[in-house]
Amino acid sequence: MLPKRFDQAHPFALLGVVLLVWLVLPVVFKTFARSAFFEIQAPATVVDSYVDDLQNFWASELKSKEQLIKEGKDLAGLISAYSLANQTNKQLSADILRLENLLSLPSMPAYRLEPARVARRDFSGWWQRMIIRKGHNYNIPVGAPVVYSGGVVGRVIEVHAYTAVVDLVTSPTFRVAASAEGDNRPVSYQGGLNETFSPPRGTVEFVPLDLSASQVQPQRLVTSGLGGIFPPGLTLGSITLLEPSTDGLFKNGEVKLDPRLNSLTEVTILIPLNPEQP
Amino acid sequence: MVRYDYRWLVVFGCNLLLLWLVGLANHYLAHFSLLGFEHCTVSLYLGGLLVTYAALRLDSRHGWASTLLTGLAADSFTALPFGTSLVLFGMVHATLLHGRQRFPREELVFAIVVALLVNLFLFIAISFLLVGSNSRPAAAWLRLFADLLASQVAVALLTSWFMSVQNRIFYFLRQHPETGRRVAS
Repeated sequence: MLPKRFDQAHPFALLGVVLLVWLVLPVVFKTFARSAFFEIQAPATVVDSYVDDLQNFWASELKSKEQLIKEGKDLAGLISAYSLANQTNKQLSADILRLENLLSLPSMPAYRLEPARVARRDFSGWWQRMIIRKGHNYNIPVGAPVVYSGGVVGRVIEVHAYTAVVDLVTSPTFRVAASAEGDNRPVSYQGGLNETFSPPRGTVEFVPLDLSASQVQPQRLVTSGLGGIFPPGLTLGSITLLEPSTDGLFKNGEVKLDPRLNSLTEVTILIPLNPEQP
Repeated sequence: MVRYDYRWLVVFGCNLLLLWLVGLANHYLAHFSLLGFEHCTVSLYLGGLLVTYAALRLDSRHGWASTLLTGLAADSFTALPFGTSLVLFGMVHATLLHGRQRFPREELVFAIVVALLVNLFLFIAISFLLVGSNSRPAAAWLRLFADLLASQVAVALLTSWFMSVQNRIFYFLRQHPETGRRVAS
């Protein structure tokens, strides 16, 4: 029989053994375990997302004919506006191609657009991420940029069988090279200022001293294209505050992000067509 | 005939249910309006509830199995390094297991107090682990404090329900959670 003193310490001895086993376990096993535990829970997440869609569908069925006609008219207006934008885009693409050939420039990266529904949002003070309803089944790669009509949403950090996890632009773990609109000098953007009663904000560092921005005259912050993940020119937010850093060499500031990021239901994943040349 | 003892699975299953419900709540709490504030957001963390029943009511073997599996399940859905919740839940479980004989562990009020304290410890531990990655940790603490407050209120409200769900399942299975013996209905 074990002495009483050891018997009392038994839970801690067992904890020590568990920790030791966990430390020596190979990474392959841990990766497999993580994926397995995620996949066990994923069906419930996806199912409640589909149920939510069904609820919205039934809610739409209750709309009156007048309402549908009005929305149809609005949609027709949008379609004509987008048709015009599409023609302009084709013309601009042809111009870019002509200039690339003329100046022997490397071609711009091309992307396949993959729309995906948002299944789950997880916006805590520690991290900000969302689970989308597409994964390996749609060849979503890890690291792919995710966008919406207002600009950057984030990047794919985990891909599972039929879901993927997106690290949001609002998350403290999200960093990207950016630049002020009309200025090609890179600055560093990081998410993370997420207060309970106000829209999300991020921070910028290493901003050149001659740039200025304020609440009254905000500067649009866009992706710089450096780093190869995000194409240049995508909106991140608006710089609303810039002040000199402690060393006086650069400026630091705050970026106001789009409040719609907290309520997105659909996003688009940009999948590089030629991953070797990002 | 040898009857398989699945007490750990009952508690682990209940924990998975709770994880799903909390995820669902956080999904809708990501954006709401309150008292004239247009863009409110809050996040619940109920880790304390996931450990309490297994540590207070189950025997050592089944309690450990349930708690460790729950830790891994919780980690797989978060941005925490895989194994963090396993370690934290394990620490809490060992501490509660060590001292539970000295307290009225069958009492609901005691379970609520334990769940609140455990949740507080887990929340603060995770916050200290992650807050360093934030560009402005001082500002991050304000948000974390709001999340902690909401989480503690949720734990205080949900503990009695969650404990009784697990008690009720064992009652239907006619099994004592600690001894595993068959009990008369």
